[in-house]
Amino acid sequence: MNDIIIAILRSGTPLVYVTLAGVLAQRSGVWHLGLEGVMIIGACATILGIVATGSFALAMLIACLACVVASALLWFVIERLKASPIIAGLGLTGLGIGGTALAIQSIFGSQAAVTAPFGVPRLGSAFGPYGILSVFVLAMPFVVLALWALLRRTRFGLQLAAAGEHPFAARSVGVNPSTMRLIALLGGGLLCAVGGAELSAGSLQIFAQNMTAGRGFMAFAAVVFGAGHPIGSVLAALFFSVVGAVGIRAQLVFGDAAPHDLLLALPYLATVFGVWLSGQLRGGAKAAADFAELRDY
Amino acid sequence: MTEMQEPALECRNVSVAFGPVTALSQVSLRFEAGLVHAVVGQNGAGKTTFARVVAGLIRPQSGEVLVQGRPVAAGSVKGARAAGVELVHQSFALPPSFTVCEAMEFGAQGNRSVFTRGQLERRWSSHLASLDVAVDTRRRIRDLPVETQQGVEIARALVTDARVLILDEPTAVLSPSGAEKLFDRIRTLSALGVTVILILHKIREVLAIADTVTVLRGGRLIAATTPVAETDSAQLSERIIGSASAQTLAPADAKALVGAESGVVAPGHAAVVAAPMLELRNVATRGDKEGPGLRDVSLVIRPGEIVGLAGVEGNGQRTLVRAIAGLVDTTHGDIKLDGAPVTGVALGERRTRGLRIIPFERNTEGLSLSSALWENWSARQLLRSPLFQFINPRRIQRDSDAALKAWDVRYASTAQKAGSLSGGNAQKVILAREIDDEARLILAAQPTRGLDIGATAFVWRALRAARDRGCAVLLVSSDLDELFDISDRIVVMLSGGVAGEFSPPYDIARVGATMTEARP
Amino acid sequence: MMTRLIPVVRALVFIVAALVLCGVIFQFAGYSAFSMFQDIVDGAFLRPGAPLQSLRWALPLFITSVGVSISFRCGYFNIGAQGQFYIGAICATFMATWLNDAPAYVLTPLCFLAGMAGGALWAFWPGWLRLQSGTDEVITTLMGNFIAGLILVYVTTGPLKDPSGSGQQSSSRPLKAAYRISDSLGVSPVIVAIALVVGIGMWLLVNRTAFGVLASLAGRNPTMVKWQGARVWRIGLSSFLISGALAGLSGVIEVFGPNGRLVGGFLPTHGFTAILIALVASLSVVGIGFVSLFFGGLASAALYLPIMAGLPSSAIDIVNAAIALFITAKSEWVDRLLRLGNAPS
Repeated sequence: MNDIIIAILRSGTPLVYVTLAGVLAQRSGVWHLGLEGVMIIGACATILGIVATGSFALAMLIACLACVVASALLWFVIERLKASPIIAGLGLTGLGIGGTALAIQSIFGSQAAVTAPFGVPRLGSAFGPYGILSVFVLAMPFVVLALWALLRRTRFGLQLAAAGEHPFAARSVGVNPSTMRLIALLGGGLLCAVGGAELSAGSLQIFAQNMTAGRGFMAFAAVVFGAGHPIGSVLAALFFSVVGAVGIRAQLVFGDAAPHDLLLALPYLATVFGVWLSGQLRGGAKAAADFAELRDY
Repeated sequence: MTEMQEPALECRNVSVAFGPVTALSQVSLRFEAGLVHAVVGQNGAGKTTFARVVAGLIRPQSGEVLVQGRPVAAGSVKGARAAGVELVHQSFALPPSFTVCEAMEFGAQGNRSVFTRGQLERRWSSHLASLDVAVDTRRRIRDLPVETQQGVEIARALVTDARVLILDEPTAVLSPSGAEKLFDRIRTLSALGVTVILILHKIREVLAIADTVTVLRGGRLIAATTPVAETDSAQLSERIIGSASAQTLAPADAKALVGAESGVVAPGHAAVVAAPMLELRNVATRGDKEGPGLRDVSLVIRPGEIVGLAGVEGNGQRTLVRAIAGLVDTTHGDIKLDGAPVTGVALGERRTRGLRIIPFERNTEGLSLSSALWENWSARQLLRSPLFQFINPRRIQRDSDAALKAWDVRYASTAQKAGSLSGGNAQKVILAREIDDEARLILAAQPTRGLDIGATAFVWRALRAARDRGCAVLLVSSDLDELFDISDRIVVMLSGGVAGEFSPPYDIARVGATMTEARP
Repeated sequence: MMTRLIPVVRALVFIVAALVLCGVIFQFAGYSAFSMFQDIVDGAFLRPGAPLQSLRWALPLFITSVGVSISFRCGYFNIGAQGQFYIGAICATFMATWLNDAPAYVLTPLCFLAGMAGGALWAFWPGWLRLQSGTDEVITTLMGNFIAGLILVYVTTGPLKDPSGSGQQSSSRPLKAAYRISDSLGVSPVIVAIALVVGIGMWLLVNRTAFGVLASLAGRNPTMVKWQGARVWRIGLSSFLISGALAGLSGVIEVFGPNGRLVGGFLPTHGFTAILIALVASLSVVGIGFVSLFFGGLASAALYLPIMAGLPSSAIDIVNAAIALFITAKSEWVDRLLRLGNAPS
């Protein structure tokens, strides 16, 4: 039983952090399809940072910086150059995946996975069997609550929501929607750095090319499923994680009899189902119509 | 005592241009403190632009704004608010999903910016109560009736210590009695020392509430802060319309356009006694996010008459138009078009039978702004042919050119995007598309909203001409003067049902009362 | 004429910006940006055999991209070209296996139909979900890509696996030469003819039918089209089906053409590149033709870089991604520069 929970927490935590980044972006009015890219940049930078500096804190700093720069680039292209957030986000994702692959090829001379001597600090024996989990896992519920409070119980949170829902209303009280989006994207960058670090250095301390494998997109789907509500989106992300864990578990139980690859598809199917369900619950057409405004193409 | 007190608000030589279009040209005004000032003009005269410049939303190309003699940073809403200037917009600027207290909070300044729900409600309930706005602070903005929304908007503007309050066309969405209540509220504010600037466009409202009146036309200042006592309806009317346009307008039309009198007698029009073109019998629909449901609506419109649909926005007018169009399902009752039952028949088929629509929202329902003029114009006819039918675009472009020119649309090429046209021209494109020889029933929903006097008069001419040709016309409008001037008959809607019917001569007091009668 | 060139110039400006960004990234990663670009141009166009290679990549990209442009025109963000491409290839391979020894003139056309139907089906379900219940097609088509990728892996290591191949390889049995429509070079009269037919057909659809105008209107303002009485269903679903069928067609071409078999994980960036081409070309069929050649060149450079220059092929992915980042930008100052003496736009 314990190892199931540990597996779910390990696979779920990165997803939750990135989902929170997506929630921030969504509230401010940005459909963040670049989460995958920022996440993989965070994952790669953490491992490379540990290898290069030998210090986790420094590595984390480097990762945060890299993710913030990437997020700022996205903001610039979307807000100043008025590009389509969807395509620009996909572009950023491509840059992240390709850029990290290029980096390890250039530094290590091959495309093989990179291992780091150590990873994110663990909780330690005081937590019993859960001691092997990283500190980010423990921090996760607090971060979720903090973000919820920020978004729903502060004036800043209201202004952010106004920037996303009704930019003119925001402007008429002196709030600049563009600035709000910058804050949201940069904050999201930090969250993606943590999520990426947890993915690569939280359990196995490895970075492999393309290791995010669509998690960033799943986080985005969780945000849509949860309609941008912090708690709802996080629950959706955990749901997707559970489904993924079930798939892996079924494989272990049923062995060769289970079609390995099709089981891996379960999280993606769950995502489709989830998005459909949330559309049904919320009066589908409305969700589509709301988002239509954000599109320019 | 100082001889010359600083005016509460002053602008000097303010000019605003949006690309090649001049919105305001060298406007200089001084507004004395503690009074109620009216700024009037037709649509497109620059009133809203002026309000937004003063509030800091728009940075003028030149000129400056001063509050109590001190200049305010141009284009900075924060700066304007810090100086005590607040603006209540024409179309409401509150996020629809916010609760009332959230809407109060997000514009607030000062400390205590973290809160629990209970704290938030307590904080703002007393503020709203002090302003006589009766509303449960937990309700969402989108669920509030229009008059309450406006009350909340005004309350939001008064959250900080506003010295100058600007209201942009506040009476446009109100019933006559609603406007009266608003004026009472304004008088109270004025008594408290707030300087109120009202953007209005009906002369009788100006005469009722304002101490001074300023007239703008074509972005220019025509008359600056004239005391109301020193002017009259005729002079104001002439200033608003301008002598050039005035010559082409019938006197009754001119009075309606500027809202000069409170009950216009429409020149009688002998109704054609013929079989009804539109017949609704006991029609009911479900409510949805676009409006309340219809309750037992029965309506008849005959060829050769214009029926005006009056009512405060949000009482089912939109649902009625959608029901006649077939865009919303009826749960009860039936609809007949030209004698044939059309309940449950799709809109495309209804259009084939002569239904035409000038929709409520020009830019979202009537036109595709980023598409070419010829594409917009040809949409209706293209839908009559099979989807994969071959077409000759050159010929369609030529046909559209001919049609648009016949309707006096000003453009350079039919390949131009519809979004490049002015409001009046864009509306003419819609008219050119909808009002053809085979039109039998025209649903005209707020067809003159936002249009200047010339374009408005044009639309009225077009509708009258269609009526004279034998079309049946349903005109939905929140402008009672317009309805009184044009309609052969008026039907009032309230809470999804028909509250009353009137024939000329119309009495604004009686019609207004029907618009707001509380249902038992 | 001038107004037609505006989107071209705008695209060029942003491609240059993208290339500058790539240069920065290459330098930062420790490579010489200049020599990287040199190698790319070399691999794409200059070395012997490059033009033909580029054409080989350009043809299927053209077909998929034209399909993508139909969906985008209608206003639907159908980014599932990759999945539709895979499913088309898979269906065609299943049909070939099922029909086994049938004569070529029966088997090949049927397989093509199967592939197009498969691609259309893979576009149908996200389209139906969108039109039925407003479920956003960005997510559903995106997930569809991942799911199709996994189906491909499953199929090539399971039901369709080539029994004679080594255990490591995941691919289907090679097709008999008689069934194929080109050799491994990938450029043959048949493929070129298919591309031409698709190009002409879609150009006519977009520019000479009611569908073309209505789809464009619906894409820019579906509300307006609804108020005109259009059945947005039919327009929308048609566009999804056409896009899917064309992407599936490309998949079949790859299997029956240069690959000669269904290979696990083949051409994983085909869909994304096709989408990019459609955007760079501003959804114009003729433009897509030209831009496909450019991206075809990049694709052939991607193969050349690791072999001849010892550089990672991810460099090309970065170029593509950078272009995607900028290509939908609008930037006022670019527009102002371009509006020299043109009619009000």
